[in-house]
Amino acid sequence: MATSKKVITREEWEKKLNAVKLRKEDMNTLVMNFLVTEGYVEAAEKFQRESGTKPEIDLATITDRMAVKKAVQNGNVEDAIEKVNDLNPEILDTNPELFFHLQQQRLIELIRQGRTEEALEFAQEELAPRGEENTASEVNAAILTSQSHEKDPKLPSLLKMLIWAQKQLDEKAVYPHINDLSTGQLEDPSE
Amino acid sequence: MSSLLSTVNSDNGRHGNGDTSGGDGRDLILHFLDKVRFSATRDAKEDEGEESPTELNTINSAGGFLVVSPDKLSVKYTSTNLHGHDVGVVQANKPAPFKCLTYYFEIFVKDSGAKGQVAIGFTKENFKMRRQPGWEVNSCGYHGDDGYLYRGQGKGEAFGPTYTKDDTVGGGINYATQEFFFTKNGALVGKVPKDIRGHLFPTVAVHSQNEEVSVNFGQKKYVFDIEGYEASERNKQQMAIEKISIPPNIGYGLIKTYLLHYGYEETLNAFNLATKTTVPPICIAQENAIDEDDSSYALNQRKTLRQLVRNGEIDAALTGLRDWYPQLVQDDKSVVCFLLHCQKFIELVRVGKLEEGVKYGRLELAKFVGLARFQDIVEECFALLVYEKPEESSVGYFLEDSQRELVADAVNAAILSTNPNKKNEQRSCNLHSPLEKLLRQLTVCCLERRSLNGDQGETFRLHHVLNNNRTRR
Repeated sequence: MATSKKVITREEWEKKLNAVKLRKEDMNTLVMNFLVTEGYVEAAEKFQRESGTKPEIDLATITDRMAVKKAVQNGNVEDAIEKVNDLNPEILDTNPELFFHLQQQRLIELIRQGRTEEALEFAQEELAPRGEENTASEVNAAILTSQSHEKDPKLPSLLKMLIWAQKQLDEKAVYPHINDLSTGQLEDPSE
Repeated sequence: MSSLLSTVNSDNGRHGNGDTSGGDGRDLILHFLDKVRFSATRDAKEDEGEESPTELNTINSAGGFLVVSPDKLSVKYTSTNLHGHDVGVVQANKPAPFKCLTYYFEIFVKDSGAKGQVAIGFTKENFKMRRQPGWEVNSCGYHGDDGYLYRGQGKGEAFGPTYTKDDTVGGGINYATQEFFFTKNGALVGKVPKDIRGHLFPTVAVHSQNEEVSVNFGQKKYVFDIEGYEASERNKQQMAIEKISIPPNIGYGLIKTYLLHYGYEETLNAFNLATKTTVPPICIAQENAIDEDDSSYALNQRKTLRQLVRNGEIDAALTGLRDWYPQLVQDDKSVVCFLLHCQKFIELVRVGKLEEGVKYGRLELAKFVGLARFQDIVEECFALLVYEKPEESSVGYFLEDSQRELVADAVNAAILSTNPNKKNEQRSCNLHSPLEKLLRQLTVCCLERRSLNGDQGETFRLHHVLNNNRTRR
């Protein structure tokens, strides 16, 4: 398969880039999806007002979700469990692993508060290897799933897809790449 | 200020001749006119339907050896086979569509006849219709009597089980992996690389007395779960993509530069406030890479004008522009002026002030009628007056929210182009936010790869990715 690769100059490539029809609504949807999934409710509200983009789920549910996340982050695990059950009691029933992690977290908090003896017994058996940030995102994801919303924003997947698509095209062509994802700057083909 | 003005003026002079290759703001804004045109046509363009095979081709079949049923969905060998050049071959009436992930069809062996020499496969249009698919170059066939796969190389290769009476066998093409695949009674038998380019016809062959086969081009439910197969193929690709690692929290910076670029100032402030406490410091380092000074250029004014346009307060927006950026409205026939005047007209139509609209049109829009670059849009705009319910008409897109957003974006781009800190070439880079640049690159990479694959496979459309992902998981 010694077929030579097609060489696409920067000029040709830029022409192709400029010919792409991106819809502004789609861009805005992507941004809104990020804000909603990551739980930035105020930014999402402002964005709805500034761009007219409708959020894909009720913004009020983000507030609830973030309150749970925050409770876990602050170590109020009991409070968090209660809030999750208020939201939807099935979440913890259907996620035994998550419930377990929350219990672990509770233990860690007990230890932190100096109530070591209480905690020690259980902790010796199953000391949590994960920090509260992990558990917090786990709760966040479980709630999103229960609301039949994807747990990850679409933006990172699209960025991964870009790297993948560039790699795929590398097999067949030489063309300008984008290597710096934060600036999106086009770089001349290396050959 | 005066030096700023003179820079802009000299730019205007240089690019006034319709040369669009330059990097000056005015010409960059020209592309917003194409965006208006794109809104008019995009819904129609989205679905480029491809024809699929529906029945057997009775004209091109190996006449004399076989009989195709009146419904053109089954075929029977009626002669007695004597040698290798009297195979009864029949193709579908249309080639397999290829702007999709897979193509698939099935056959059912009603009768395996004297020898059971049934075959299923794919052939080119000019295939010799008296030969088994796979016996000749540029063809591929899975044969029932030996279970071998033939790919035009004279002899076959061991591939799968034999098949006979009452078996359902399927043949498919996976365009993403460029492979043929075959199934028997609902189970995948195997796959082989597809090294044939161009249109391929679903093909069946019968080659001994009384062999009879019916075809299913999708009019009945397939025995093989093709949807499930497609989903798992997609999933494989998705898994490969998810495995790729990207810098953590890269999304935050891209969202910020996007909000900055378009002047969504309030969202930006709320986002900054919220991320200050929650996002790990790694993102801060990234933030330094963002040229805050440049991207926040005239942020507040851009935000204010965006709000005015979005609220339909076009007069106020024009006044604001005149006060802050007189150089942008100096030329009354500039793209920004044109779009704003159109929008004012549209807003009058929206609230039913038609008479005022007509007056305004005469005063402010008539002057654009003779100009080639604007003419079609002006005419479509005026057409709003003709309809009793303009929002339901073919020019209804003018009344949609997206049109306001587009005009606001044009104003935003025009203001960005006045940034004296940017050289011309940088300005052209500045037309798109980094996020958009990435998505454009993604789109072109996918399209280009597809075109190098003979245009086979699914087209990448961001719109579909954003809206279909949920069902795919």
